[in-house]
Amino acid sequence: MAGLELKKLSKAYGNVEVLHDINLSIADGEFIVFVGPSGCGKSTLLRMIAGLEEITGGDLMIGGKLSNSLSPKQRNIAMVFQSYALYPQMTVAENMGFSLSLERRPKDEIARKVNEAAEALKLGPYLDRKPGQLSGGQRQRVAIGRAIVRQPQVFLLDEPLSNLDAALRSETRVEISELHQRMATTMIYVTHDQVEAMTMADRIVVLNGGYIEQVGSPMELYNKPASEFVAGFIGSPKMNFVKGRFADAVGAATLGVRPEHFVVGAGDDAWEGKVTLVERLGHDTILYVNVPEAGVLTVSLSGQHDQTVGDTVHLKPKMEFIHKFTNEGRPIAA
Amino acid sequence: MLGRWILLFILGITAALMAAPLILTVFTSLKPTTELVNPAWYPPIDMTFEHYVRVWTEGGFSRYFFNTLVISVIDAIVMIFIASMAAYAMVFIDFRGKIFLQILFLIGLMIPVTAIVLPLFQIVRSFGLLNTHLGVILADLALAVSVFVFMFTSYFAGVPKALHEAARIDGATEFQIYRRVVMPIATPAVVTTALLEFLWSWNDLLLRLLLMTRDEMRTLSVGLLNFQGTMTRDVTGLSSGTVIMAIPVVLLFLFFQRHFVRGMTSGAVK
Ligand SMILES: Nc1ncnc2c1ncn2[C@@H]1O[C@H](COP(=O)(O)OP(=O)(O)OP(=O)(O)O)[C@@H](O)[C@H]1O
Ligand SMILES: [Mg+2]
Repeated sequence: MAGLELKKLSKAYGNVEVLHDINLSIADGEFIVFVGPSGCGKSTLLRMIAGLEEITGGDLMIGGKLSNSLSPKQRNIAMVFQSYALYPQMTVAENMGFSLSLERRPKDEIARKVNEAAEALKLGPYLDRKPGQLSGGQRQRVAIGRAIVRQPQVFLLDEPLSNLDAALRSETRVEISELHQRMATTMIYVTHDQVEAMTMADRIVVLNGGYIEQVGSPMELYNKPASEFVAGFIGSPKMNFVKGRFADAVGAATLGVRPEHFVVGAGDDAWEGKVTLVERLGHDTILYVNVPEAGVLTVSLSGQHDQTVGDTVHLKPKMEFIHKFTNEGRPIAA
Repeated sequence: MLGRWILLFILGITAALMAAPLILTVFTSLKPTTELVNPAWYPPIDMTFEHYVRVWTEGGFSRYFFNTLVISVIDAIVMIFIASMAAYAMVFIDFRGKIFLQILFLIGLMIPVTAIVLPLFQIVRSFGLLNTHLGVILADLALAVSVFVFMFTSYFAGVPKALHEAARIDGATEFQIYRRVVMPIATPAVVTTALLEFLWSWNDLLLRLLLMTRDEMRTLSVGLLNFQGTMTRDVTGLSSGTVIMAIPVVLLFLFFQRHFVRGMTSGAVK
């Protein structure tokens, strides 16, 4: 087990720099999630930590040791790939035991460790099968099993759930969280799904265009986004951004209101609009309301409500929860 | 319906055209000398194996057969290793001068053997390898390696890069990845290489004629020339010699047919 220290890390392909000045320190045993839109450099950063991608600037310390030019093996990391990357000609047991067999560990030790991991991941019945004979979810477990058998210092996962269906995804999400609690190993998890980030992370690193936008716990990011980008990226449904008259009224270039921070049916100074769409989820009701001068706003109401399309509603943001941003997307302190 | 019959008809004609020389050769090789006056397409009436025995013993074909087998088997095995390793490096390892190597292989692919026989002869002679099997084997490998590097390269290009990366993370060296991860899934390419290289080596005449002049070094392809003097022609000897030479090839192809076809279309296989 080990913490990591990323100091002024950068990555260039030829003369195009895709990651800039990445500074981050990750504590031993922490669950860190890299999140951001497609192409922001999440995978590249993870692969630099793994040793699969050359570091073109800055220092990477793993467990206090400068690791820039260490091989993946010397870094003692394990990685789960989005495509699983299981060895097709090997059985599940051979896949999981491959790294140990490369170290020429005794056969019975390998078998014991593989069995332990298989037990934890409910893979027992499939040990003699080839990856081609497994379902997507089972393959995914084998990929995780292959990583945990080695007891690595750092555990890296690149969008491990993106090939699973929704039900399996939330199930596996829980399992990975439990796994982290049990193993207490440092984990770095890449995703573009902010729900995964919010539910699993100790701390989230939001990347955008090769820069770190913000680092913080899920609630810090939700409550105190450091930029308009983070505010829009974290939280579901997305935060509403309003410009013009309503923003001017609070002294901001852009006013940000989360869908759950609207009150419906309040007084004269409320914003009047027409409901254009209603989504009823049971525990929540989501209204899309077209407010002149503000555009279509998303409003999330807790519980079940009876507004329908075409209704006129009055909205009022809860002032203690609004976010104010400058023209450059920087937050204005309340 | 009519289209189907036309297709079958064309197929039948083609097959007959391809098979006819082979069948006539087999007929001739089994005919006693007295029956040679009959037209070639008469089947043998009083079947005999005497020509086979003669060719095998007096004709020296037992030795030629052994020589050919040694050269072809070594050619095929060594080719699998060098071509797959070169292709592995081209696909999975980043190194300087890769483009340059690629161009060299491309050139190797384009130059016909006949255009370089003379320098080839001189090189082999300067190494003192004339009249040795090693000389022929090295020349064979050098001349065909480009083809098989390209074949393995296109096969490996279909192997997901993540597999190579996963193995590196698991702590495998490049050689271990080659041996334990990549080669086990490259069977179709391996079989195709083995068969094609074996076949080329088995049938080649030019290099054997050029590089080995001593009788005890000869291969079957050269041996067959013995039956064809400027004035005379030993038709039965030639025929049975040809059949002896063809048998191993036919057997191999029957045995590996399925693999072989798969390997030839392997670009599509993942
Ligand atoms: N080999 C390469 N050569 C040049 N540019 C590259 C290379 N690999 C990645 N990039 C660029 O680096 C940037 C970051 O890519 P990366 O794969 O890290 O994005 P990502 O955040 O993982 O996106 P996604 O969510 O789609 O996986 C992209 O703009 C991409 O075009
Ligand atoms: Mg990615």
